[in-house]
Amino acid sequence: MIFSRALFWLPIGVFYASWAFALGTPVNLEVPLGLPPLTVPAVNPLTKEKIDLGRRLFMDRRLSHNNTMSCAMCHVPEQGFTSHELGTAIGLEGRSLRRNSPTIYNVGYQRSLFHEGREPHLEDQVWGPLLTKVEMDMPSIGYVVEKVRQLKEYEGLFEAAFGGPVNAERIGQALASWERTMISGNSRFDRWFYGGQRDVLNAEEQLGFQVFTGKGHCSTCHLIGEKSALFTDHKFHNTGLGWERTMFPERNNYRVQLAPGIFVQVMGSLLKSFEPPQADVGRYEVTIDTKDRWAYKTPVLRNVAVTQPYMHDGSLSTLEDVVEFYDKGGIDNDNKSPLLQPLKLSSAEKAALVAFMKTLTGDNLAALTHDARMAPASPPSLEQDPSDAYMDAIAVYP
Amino acid sequence: MTKCNKRNSIKTLAAAISAAVALAVTALPATSIADETSCSPFTPLIKGQEDFVYVWTLGVEGLGDGSDKLVTVDVNPKSKNYGKVINSLSVGGRNEAHHIGLSDDRRYVWGGGLDSSHIFIFDVATDPAKPKLVKVIKDFVEKSGGIVGPHTFYAAPGRMIITGLSNNQDHGGVTAHVIYNNKGDYIKTVQVPTGEVGGAMGDGYNYDVAINPRKNAMLSTSFTGWNNYMMDLGKMVKDPEAMKHFGNTSVMWDFKTMKPIKVFSTPGAPLEARWNWGKGDDFAVTTTALTSNIWVFKQDDKKEWQAHNVGTIGNPADIPLPVDISMAADGKAMWINTFMDGTTRFWDFSNPMKPKEVYTKKIGSQVNMVSQSYDGKRVYYTSSLLGNWDKKGKDDEQFLKMYNWDGKDLKLGFEIDFYKEKLGRAHHMKFQARNMNTLRPLHAEADRLDSVRLASTETPAK
Repeated sequence: MIFSRALFWLPIGVFYASWAFALGTPVNLEVPLGLPPLTVPAVNPLTKEKIDLGRRLFMDRRLSHNNTMSCAMCHVPEQGFTSHELGTAIGLEGRSLRRNSPTIYNVGYQRSLFHEGREPHLEDQVWGPLLTKVEMDMPSIGYVVEKVRQLKEYEGLFEAAFGGPVNAERIGQALASWERTMISGNSRFDRWFYGGQRDVLNAEEQLGFQVFTGKGHCSTCHLIGEKSALFTDHKFHNTGLGWERTMFPERNNYRVQLAPGIFVQVMGSLLKSFEPPQADVGRYEVTIDTKDRWAYKTPVLRNVAVTQPYMHDGSLSTLEDVVEFYDKGGIDNDNKSPLLQPLKLSSAEKAALVAFMKTLTGDNLAALTHDARMAPASPPSLEQDPSDAYMDAIAVYP
Repeated sequence: MTKCNKRNSIKTLAAAISAAVALAVTALPATSIADETSCSPFTPLIKGQEDFVYVWTLGVEGLGDGSDKLVTVDVNPKSKNYGKVINSLSVGGRNEAHHIGLSDDRRYVWGGGLDSSHIFIFDVATDPAKPKLVKVIKDFVEKSGGIVGPHTFYAAPGRMIITGLSNNQDHGGVTAHVIYNNKGDYIKTVQVPTGEVGGAMGDGYNYDVAINPRKNAMLSTSFTGWNNYMMDLGKMVKDPEAMKHFGNTSVMWDFKTMKPIKVFSTPGAPLEARWNWGKGDDFAVTTTALTSNIWVFKQDDKKEWQAHNVGTIGNPADIPLPVDISMAADGKAMWINTFMDGTTRFWDFSNPMKPKEVYTKKIGSQVNMVSQSYDGKRVYYTSSLLGNWDKKGKDDEQFLKMYNWDGKDLKLGFEIDFYKEKLGRAHHMKFQARNMNTLRPLHAEADRLDSVRLASTETPAK
């Protein structure tokens, strides 16, 4: 059968009756105010069984090689599905990652995954962290499949969701299904802008909207549509931050908090015996096109007030820091986006901008956190290594 | 697993524990008990020459078998193997081996992995020269209700108190104490307070505990969660978000009930907790890793516990990182190691409210643990702090070094290069005697508090 590209995607709310996805209990997600229709690949329609399975996989620490890291250890439900406690993430055995954990709120709307957009498909995305040595460090695809197959908590779940046993494709489909349910809208902004409730935003927040769409030029990249807004153009831009971190990774001194309210300046030379910062060239690492050096994806700004720290490397702690960064026009370098120019915002305008961004918080965050925590984090580990168990199971002795 | 006194069932022992603790609280004499580095007051001591030092060692990928291991070093000068590694027992994997603790009868060593949260129990009595791994607890996180990172193993009668450092919800620092019995069975989880107790807010963080039975007091301190203790130290110091997540409190507990009495504000990650057992000197000490302060905990005239900031170690702006401490038997002096400059510092504690540094010596490019013999004449040092906090490159020295202390100077006795021996990163140490009958009996037992002896299960010394 030949399908056009468009027919691979169906809007949410459509009743799935095709033979291709007859199994399971169809789920019709209600898209909240302010969000566009969510598209779902025709080969992976949403069902309750897959969503439940995906939640369990997402929260399960056994999906890492040594049973210590689940997806949720970096995408912490109570911390906006990112980590408030780390600028850049930490993987298995404490290995260093280069970038901040992006939130998974509204991840189903993303056109590419990861800060540099290396992964086009949500169904395939999980294999990056699962197999990467600095993240969950699973030895191989087959090892993951065997491990999940041998965990008794998954007995019958893949069969119920897919009509067959666990395999790599189904693991990705289940995770993507649950992640697509992490939609969050109906924020105060949505009720004001799309819902016509004029009193929902106060004067400062409304001024912030004007700055966002006017003098601040924020909406040039963080798009706002007539009927919905994701606050992203899905494109990649060089703000200078990545360039500076790679080209000038070390500083002469660092302002370090020793305890609340107690700071010292630590000489960079005192830290030379430790791991140096890692280079990161951003989108260029995908396209090998020099125009993409140090370019990173425009983040969705929904729920931005609860997904700190900010930027691809988590180097800015607060929204105020972010506004200051863009007010200065980013950091000059040869590849800097021409869209970034000094803004010369007044203090009131900066404060208003921050106030406006705080209106983008969805109304269902507690429910999404509760949903995630319905799955256990630390069920019992396997007694035997799954690859050993597999070989024992298939051994045929003459 | 732990061999129990056959005269008494486990149930009898458990029943005896509360009575034992109560008696100990009210009737323990004010005899000076050395910490013998950091032993629980419920663990019999080595009063003479220690024969072996066990070193809980972190495996290093690409070095030897890469596995964590319990390394046994012969440290008796009369032995032909003096100063040599005589046994290495790999446990499999890199668990972030950290602290070990002796059981209340000194027949078993418990060792934890801060990453895997596995607990390894070794028989060190059947053949002290060759410990045997007799049990691995792999369901600590599940059983404890999500506690991650078993750190301190502190013996109580019939029990092992284990401090957690983190949790399986966010790998942050809010955590708990977890109690096991000597058989290795889970008993209960006691959360570190996050609310106000005694006038200060708890932060829920945890690190070490130390018990003073005669005061029915247990002091706990606070460090940081998995996110930070597993991270490269340099990366962490440069990460403002990470540096916001250290413990800033200490907690005094009612030991019998395991209820918090008072939370103290001790900013900057208070680490090792020690009691001084000197007569009339029931004070406890900790040092803060980040702010480099020395805190003394003492009861005031109204018997209320108070915390006093009594000193500063080095220059806090350089983050010298005070790590392990070891209090002398008479409580009049304390060794304090500072990791970053690899230096050990001898502090005069004659006046605990005004201690002063009187001697320093550089031990290596980095130094963490310090353990002194009962008589204080031998002082042992190891190098590793945490797998990813240790220095990189040429500064990553890994060793066990023994010094003789004459009250004025440290003189090197022997040293073992743990990298040259293909062992790994040398971390926590515990002493053991070849002849278990030479162990110093419990002070409680010496004073005929039979129920304390009963609660401590089989008595090795007859």
